[in-house]
Amino acid sequence: MVTSMNRSPKLKLNRWDALVAAVVLALSLALGAAFWTPTAARSGGLTVVVSVDGVEVDRAALPDYSRGSPHVYEGGGYAVTVQAHDGVVDVTESTCPNHDCQRTPPIKRAGQSIVCLPARVVVALENAYGSDAGFDAIAG
Amino acid sequence: MRSATKRLTLCAVLAALALALSYLESSFPPLVLPLPGAKLGLANIVTVYALYALGAPYALALVLVRVLLGAMFAGNASALLYSLLGGAAALGVMILLKRSKRLSVYGVSVGGAAAHNCGQVAAAMLTLGNAAPLAYLPALLVVSLFTGAFSGFIAALLFRRLPPDGL
Repeated sequence: MVTSMNRSPKLKLNRWDALVAAVVLALSLALGAAFWTPTAARSGGLTVVVSVDGVEVDRAALPDYSRGSPHVYEGGGYAVTVQAHDGVVDVTESTCPNHDCQRTPPIKRAGQSIVCLPARVVVALENAYGSDAGFDAIAG
Repeated sequence: MRSATKRLTLCAVLAALALALSYLESSFPPLVLPLPGAKLGLANIVTVYALYALGAPYALALVLVRVLLGAMFAGNASALLYSLLGGAAALGVMILLKRSKRLSVYGVSVGGAAAHNCGQVAAAMLTLGNAAPLAYLPALLVVSLFTGAFSGFIAALLFRRLPPDGL
C-alpha cells in the first residue's frame, strides 16, 4: 500500500504552535471561570449529596451529616469513607488503588465535589439553589 | 517507505513500543495533585511519530491495538473506555491539525494532549453519569500544554534521529 502523506513534519516551534497553545489556554480559562467562580453569597444551608454509580444514595443537611459521620460508601469493589466536621466534608479513607480522592482538599462551598472514579462515588455540596456553582476536584 | 510489509512491520514495532511506554507510565505517580490522570502521555509520542511516518490509518490501528491490549494486560476493563475515548480524540485532533502545513510537531502534539484529556473527561462523565468530571478539565487542559510540549520535544528528537523518509 502506497499512500501520499506529509512525512516531513516541522520540528521547530513557531507562532502557529503558540496559537494552538493559546486556544487550549483560553478554553481552560473559560471553563475554569464557569466552574470555579466563588459562590460565597450562596454558601448558607449546605446539603451533602452522595451518589454511587450515578444513583443518589445519601442526602442530608451538613450539620446532620456531620453528626452521623463517618459514612462509608461502597462502589466498584472499593470503600470510600467520608467525614464531615467543622463545616467541611472530606474523604478520609479509601480502598481505591491510588487514593487520590483522599488527597483531594476538603470541600466547603455549594457546588464543590469530590469524585472517586474507581469507586464511582461523587460527594457534592449543594444549597437551596442547587449545585450550579461547579465542582472542585475529581480523584480516583 | 514503499513496501506494505515494511509499513506493517514498523506499525507492529511502534505498537509494542507504545504498549510498553503505557505500561511504564502507569507505574508513575500523578504529575499534579490532586489531579489523577494527568500524565506525560509517553505513548502519544509514538502516535505522533506513526501519524507522520505511516499515515492516519496505521496510526489509528496502532492506537486501537495499544488501547485494547493495554486494557487486557492490565486486567482493567473499566479503563478501556477512558483509553479509547482519550486515544481516539487525541488522534482525531492530531489528524486535523497535521493537515495544517504551518504547525510543527509541537502544535500537533499539544492539540493531541488537550484532546486526550477532553476524551478522558467525557469517559468519566459517561461512567459516572454525572457532570462533575467536567470541573477537572480546566486544570487538565493547562497540564496538557506542558505534557503536549514535552511529547512534541521528544517526537522532534525522534524525527531528527529517525526521519520517516529515511525508513
